[in-house]
Amino acid sequence: MDVVIADRLQFAFTIMFHYLFPITTIGLAPFVALYTIQAARGDADAARAAAFWTRIFAINFAVGVVTGIPMEFQFGTNWAAFSAASGSVIGQPLAMEGVYAFFLESVFLGVLLAGKDRVPSWLYSTSAVAVWFGSWLSGFFIVATDAWMQHPVGYTIVGNRIELTSLPAVLLSPFAWWQYLHVVCGAMVAGSFVVAGVGAYYLLSKRETVIAQRFVKVGVIVALIFAVLVVFPTGDKNGDEVTKYQPIKLAAMEGLFNSTKDAPLAIIGMPDTHTDDLIDPIYVPDLLSFLAYGNFRAGVKGLSAYATELWPPVDLTYYAYHVMVGLGTIFMGIATLAALFLWRKRLFDTPLVLWLLMLVMPFPYIASEAGWVTSEVGRQPWIIYGLMRTASGVSPTVASGEAVFTLIGFAGMYFLLGFLFLYLTLREIGHGPV
Amino acid sequence: MSVVAFIVIAFMLTAYVLLDGYDLGVAAVTPLVARTDREREGSMRSIGPFWNGNEVWLIAAGGALFALFPQAYASAFSGFYLPLIVVLWLLMFRGIAIELRSHFPSEIWHQFWDACFFASSVLLILLFGVALGNLLRGVPLGPQGYFSGTFDELLNPYALLVGIFAVVALAMHGAVFLVLRIDGPAVQRVRRLVTRLWPAVVVLYVAVTAATLAERGIGFSWIDVIPVLTLVALGALLFFSINGRERGAFIASSLFLASLLLQAAVTMYPYLIPSLPPRKGGISIFDASPSPVALASALTVVIVGLVVVIIYSVLVARQMAGKIVVED
Repeated sequence: MDVVIADRLQFAFTIMFHYLFPITTIGLAPFVALYTIQAARGDADAARAAAFWTRIFAINFAVGVVTGIPMEFQFGTNWAAFSAASGSVIGQPLAMEGVYAFFLESVFLGVLLAGKDRVPSWLYSTSAVAVWFGSWLSGFFIVATDAWMQHPVGYTIVGNRIELTSLPAVLLSPFAWWQYLHVVCGAMVAGSFVVAGVGAYYLLSKRETVIAQRFVKVGVIVALIFAVLVVFPTGDKNGDEVTKYQPIKLAAMEGLFNSTKDAPLAIIGMPDTHTDDLIDPIYVPDLLSFLAYGNFRAGVKGLSAYATELWPPVDLTYYAYHVMVGLGTIFMGIATLAALFLWRKRLFDTPLVLWLLMLVMPFPYIASEAGWVTSEVGRQPWIIYGLMRTASGVSPTVASGEAVFTLIGFAGMYFLLGFLFLYLTLREIGHGPV
Repeated sequence: MSVVAFIVIAFMLTAYVLLDGYDLGVAAVTPLVARTDREREGSMRSIGPFWNGNEVWLIAAGGALFALFPQAYASAFSGFYLPLIVVLWLLMFRGIAIELRSHFPSEIWHQFWDACFFASSVLLILLFGVALGNLLRGVPLGPQGYFSGTFDELLNPYALLVGIFAVVALAMHGAVFLVLRIDGPAVQRVRRLVTRLWPAVVVLYVAVTAATLAERGIGFSWIDVIPVLTLVALGALLFFSINGRERGAFIASSLFLASLLLQAAVTMYPYLIPSLPPRKGGISIFDASPSPVALASALTVVIVGLVVVIIYSVLVARQMAGKIVVED
């Protein structure tokens, strides 16, 4: 196997598996904090809810931590040339993640799990908020690192090294902020659908009714808010940044092969890179021009305007993007429907909507992963957009055989981990908030 | 400024060894001192709220090395690809063992994870020790600064000796910590174990020191007073343990380890990855650091962040200290 492919497969596999857990950490942490604070005010049901979600959170966090460790080190092991060239820039947000966010999460989660009888109640509630803050901060530094690889800023080139000139430029880049807010909103959709979905499961099983109604109510309201925010403004603005700095990625995302004025938006259709066209498309006329440039007559450049060697893998970018957008639309629909029933006070005895809430739980995870595939596969062939090719970033001393060996090892270990995680989480949900 | 960066990295790694060292050490001594399922649970719970935060010192040190010395980070991590990935797998296994043991009330389940906990921790200490041994001895480097040797060269007798020393020293450190955290009949066994491990640590310390002098040649400077500190800390450890002053013993053990790491850092300086044969160059802190602007920025954020971390870690550790209670 080609060493670049082997390294990419290992990174893609380990990061995609790892990312399932931060989604829950980011999306669930506010709920843990909410119930912990309500419990501190003497609300007995909230105390049970807090203990329940903290247990789920802890299993998730543990798997997130163990699968996160390899991420911090793989830049050096598999991508040494990239790390040596750009470490002075991307090492900084990564170091900040460890020092500012990861310590905060880990130290205070220790309190949350083992300190209920040891620490004063104010410190206990503060710990829940600190874990929330830490998980959101952690996400920011990681997204800022990625955003720099998407749209490098605040650097200068000295010889064969990329040297940082301004850390604030890296951390305050609009590209990073819109991407981060989009990512957090996506995780919040996942977290709130988990809370609502678990509540719906209890209601359908006719158990824990009082607590379950609280889960469904708060879950649906938060899901509706973030299902909207994930599209507008964060998704929209994120798209604007891509349009501005990565027009080839935009063309691949939309399956637009030929440059055109009044470009249509493909709702479905299958890109064919042999004929450079979409198979069986359904178009909305002019909409892509409007979404990209705010004008129905604006010209949008297609893939054919660029040399093929600068194209990202078109099919994967296109499908991942359409899966994300399609699911995002469905989430908005389900959240709106559930919110209407909630408003009419009929949600808790409408099994059909409760079923929907329960079944939708895995899909925000798929949408989030698809979003990242769009972003990262769409960045190819660059590891740092416009500056360094992915193929030039690999470790010169690591052979493809080594990378394949460790990839197989990770696959085995993560299979075991995934199995244990699902088993233990479903077991906790089965036990319920007791 | 590169010197400050070197001190920061050395400090973070020392903090890692002192803190996660007791987690690993507790795992290493558990089969020797805990005889019942409940005692083994107590042993694992003694580090429960801390191990994760402790491990972050290693991860944060990795991140800081990336930011402060990108060249060394890239060359070391890709050069030692396989051993490093094995370390990652072992770290993962240990984490899984600690997190999963308590989730299922079955003796078989507990025994399996206890065994994983022990094996992964001891192997981790051994590998960390072997890695440190190789860094002290120097490693073969190619012209680009990438490791040019083979895997079995890393398992040379000197590095293995350092590895074994690390296992015994951290086992003692873990035992001293365990005394602070558990109750019941196991405590007496842990106390006895400390006094039995002590002579082994002294013998290995002398052996490693002699071997190091043999590897690197003898040269004295004012910095050679560090062994005095090491020996005083070792003496204090034994004195405090025998007299039941448990906090004192833990502090002495921490000082002992810190003095060893200080010695190692001074021996290596100014190289991050010394070349083999020794004193023939290598990747120094001056070749590996980025531009002054980048370095100043990274140092500022890391140092400010660490000060905050230390403040709240100490605060939390004080609140969470004391003996744990294992209920039926």
